[in-house]
Amino acid sequence: MKVRIIVVLALLSCYTVAWAQEETTQGYKPSSTQFMIRGYAHAGFEYQAVDGDARSTFLGSSFVPIFIFKPSDRLLFEAELGFFYNSRNEVEVSFEYADVSYIVNDYIILRMGKFMLPFGTFTERLHPAWINRLSNAPLGFGHGGIAPAAGTGVEVRGAIPVGSAKLLYYVYAVNGPRLNTGVDEPEEAGQLMFENLIDNNNNKAFGGRLGLLPFSNSSLELGASVYGGTVGDRNDSLYSNVGALLYAFDLSYVRQLSAVRGILDIKAQYNINNVDQATYFEEELDGSFTPYTFNNSSNASFAQLSYRPTMAGNDIVKNFELVGRYSNFQAPEGAEWEQQSTQWSFGINYWLSWRTVFKVNYQSTVQQGGHGVPAGETVTTNGLFVHWAMGF
Amino acid sequence: MTEMKNLKTILVFALPLAVGLFLAASCVSTKVAMKSGAQLWGENCVRCHNTPSPAAYNDTDWETIGLHMRIRANLTAEETRKIVEFLQSAN
Repeated sequence: MKVRIIVVLALLSCYTVAWAQEETTQGYKPSSTQFMIRGYAHAGFEYQAVDGDARSTFLGSSFVPIFIFKPSDRLLFEAELGFFYNSRNEVEVSFEYADVSYIVNDYIILRMGKFMLPFGTFTERLHPAWINRLSNAPLGFGHGGIAPAAGTGVEVRGAIPVGSAKLLYYVYAVNGPRLNTGVDEPEEAGQLMFENLIDNNNNKAFGGRLGLLPFSNSSLELGASVYGGTVGDRNDSLYSNVGALLYAFDLSYVRQLSAVRGILDIKAQYNINNVDQATYFEEELDGSFTPYTFNNSSNASFAQLSYRPTMAGNDIVKNFELVGRYSNFQAPEGAEWEQQSTQWSFGINYWLSWRTVFKVNYQSTVQQGGHGVPAGETVTTNGLFVHWAMGF
Repeated sequence: MTEMKNLKTILVFALPLAVGLFLAASCVSTKVAMKSGAQLWGENCVRCHNTPSPAAYNDTDWETIGLHMRIRANLTAEETRKIVEFLQSAN
């Protein structure tokens, strides 16, 4: 009896496998509509000493899903959300972008919605934790920095092969940044607020980037970006004519070189923000207001070098990566948010897979002025960051 | 509105610069069109992140990812097609 049952089960399982294989090879046909959830996550431990005052904490995971919907070969919708713990132990959700792209032809892509601005390359291409070789963004970049992250509007982009070179172009019109006049946040008067889902005036901001990859192996990319428009509120007579003009220059060189038996990766970007001079008001202790003005020009830059011995004979050695970065941020002299900061970061990364990395970084920041630093004083912050990051 | 005037000045300079770069790059020999998908995969993905394993996704997923990356990284149409075909053949 046992033998009969085993034979029946064996025959049944053979039939099931055969049926399943037939379903897989003959019955399965992928639909033209595709949906994917991709994104990244990261977590870690941070130790920081501010002028000798040490503090440390584990960081809860942040989860950043990217929703991709492809209804046809020419249409693509993408949206990114970010889930983070803030300093009050609350989950914060950020709406990074949501846009539709349409492939017009081989050289023109049309995008509409809220999209990452191609202002330099760090924000659009390098900021995700599993791509960024260090545990945080350079000074002046990322949330709260002077580099614009996203804009709401329309964009045309494309890549044109030119012989053995490539020319990348990006042109966009968006609602643009808004001037913080300091009414609600006096310490931020004169700063630009980049997240404008609704335009504060009728003047759209325009921008663009040109990128040239002169070599056929795409190893070198040189880029120049510009972004400008009126930033004052339409109905605010004091600031309605205030405009801003932002520039960025970027460089990327990535190549596997047999001379160093690995991949050399150099990235650099220099941002300059110029905002028209305007008068702001500082509230005195007696409730009166004192007008003041300043030359509203700021800049932020970074240069990063990383090396991974991908041609090493040992499988463990080839997964290590060394990285170093210098970054600098200068906010306007005379502003409430005036500061000069420089930062050095060094790290050793270990790649568990092509998209999962374990990072150990040391970072030293010297800051003059800015939030939490008394005027005229210099504060040095040294930190150790142990992070993992995974793309999916 | 000083900055707006500066923007117009920059655009006036940027356009001839773009045309100049375009013409300068046109003078070199054509090579990209002769490259294989594997070679383009190795050269382009690594500009931002490590080269992905072909086995990480199935054929239809690679088509979606290819379109996404064409837009995000501003790859050319030919580069995208060749890279996706390589990943589909090697997964």
